[in-house]
Amino acid sequence: MENSTDDYKIQSFDLETQTLLKTALKDPSSVNLEKVSNVIVEQSLKDCVFSKEAGRICYTIVQAEAKQSSGNVFRRLLLNRLQQEFKVREETRTRSLQEWVCYVTFICNIFDYLKVNDMPMVALVQPVYDCLTRLARPDALTNEEEVDCLVLQLHRIGEQLEKMNIQRMDELFFLLRDGFLLQEGLASMTRLLLLEILEFRAGGWMLNSTAHKYYYSELAE
Amino acid sequence: MSHKNKMKRSEARVGEEECRSSGPSRWSHSRKRGVDGSLRNNSDEDGDDWCRHASFTTPESSGPVSRCSRPTDWGSQVEDEEMRRDMHKDMQRRRILGPEVTQRERRASSGSSGSCDSREGENMETDESVLLRRQKQISYGKNTLAYDRYIKEVPKHLRQPGIHPKTPNKFRKYSRRSWDQQVKLWKVKLHAWDPPSLSSQKTTPNSNSSQELDPCEELDFGDVMDIELDFPTLSHSEHPPTAHWVHASSVTDQDYLGTPVKVQRTESPGGPDMV
Repeated sequence: MENSTDDYKIQSFDLETQTLLKTALKDPSSVNLEKVSNVIVEQSLKDCVFSKEAGRICYTIVQAEAKQSSGNVFRRLLLNRLQQEFKVREETRTRSLQEWVCYVTFICNIFDYLKVNDMPMVALVQPVYDCLTRLARPDALTNEEEVDCLVLQLHRIGEQLEKMNIQRMDELFFLLRDGFLLQEGLASMTRLLLLEILEFRAGGWMLNSTAHKYYYSELAE
Repeated sequence: MSHKNKMKRSEARVGEEECRSSGPSRWSHSRKRGVDGSLRNNSDEDGDDWCRHASFTTPESSGPVSRCSRPTDWGSQVEDEEMRRDMHKDMQRRRILGPEVTQRERRASSGSSGSCDSREGENMETDESVLLRRQKQISYGKNTLAYDRYIKEVPKHLRQPGIHPKTPNKFRKYSRRSWDQQVKLWKVKLHAWDPPSLSSQKTTPNSNSSQELDPCEELDFGDVMDIELDFPTLSHSEHPPTAHWVHASSVTDQDYLGTPVKVQRTESPGGPDMV
């Protein structure tokens, strides 16, 4: 069991919190779930490494609570906290690009892991699109960390997202094409990432082997 | 696509969230979980109470008229989504098993409303909002210690019609009144399995629950009057086998229809007026 807690990447928490989380994973009804959800959300905003996989620990707690008591208090608290942060995302972005990027990473991760009857949560679809669309706007494309985040999330959840609402994905990709073609002053890395994601979606959310070689192999000397 | 518009829209709906939070529920000492299915804690469990109150005192019409429109917080949205999906699974199951179940029910049942007996598949209730409402009512009834004890004590095959409570079949066509009455009767019967002692009663251990058992829950006479108006002809409420006849006297809180026996004896307006 100890090995799997490493997978949740909770080392960045202080020891007391780590204990809290570990207990929550095994015995959710014995802990204050509101505190747990706050702790997780707050850390996700600060620690991008954690936010990349925070969905997992959340999922486990949700499952544990459902099994233990058929409850879904934690899920509700988590989602509502997530929603609060969503409402102030523009301010967050203005205040700290890092936090904003962490938030997007986190909400996408939650979308990925927390399923309802094996389906993604419908309630999160529009918010996730809103976040990704924000990342595709010209002022965001000039920031490499935002582009990085955007393409990473599309790789991870693009396909699922598209299934839930293809129109918004189309619109998002209009922006990406425009950005790639028309936006001046983009870093070459940014253009590379954009081109790759355009090909990726065009290929049905995967790269054929030659494209993969182009983007991911070491260049021959 | 302007996300600013979306932001404005979601902000405008924040006010609606208010209706979901209100004071603690009065009849909670036998309740394991809050109205939303989550383990009882001190947060938003009772907004639903308030909303449901509104819908249940509405005179019979095309359906419940809730003061709260669809929830805007993600937590509730996801729960609703989950309920709806479960509901559809239920429906499919019922369609497949339908005829078989109906036969069994006909043989075993003695108390269901005969006039509305409908054959599954032919005359199933399919209105989603009705089914969801009914399912919620059933969930509240099942979300009690009494129910837990009941199902542990009496396995299904040993159930005797008339004596043992039977969950009303939400897929059958019933009038609103008839359905509500069935639910009340069912819950009243379930009280026979209430845990024996209130003061030493153990709720499911949960540090999130900040509410202690409240043995002094009071009857609200306004609520009682509601019942009088709605159900003037309570003739056949069956008494549970044990001596613990709990006076269930309020419709306002659909998830728990009992008042502690202590309170009942001192404050009861008199006579079982509750189904």
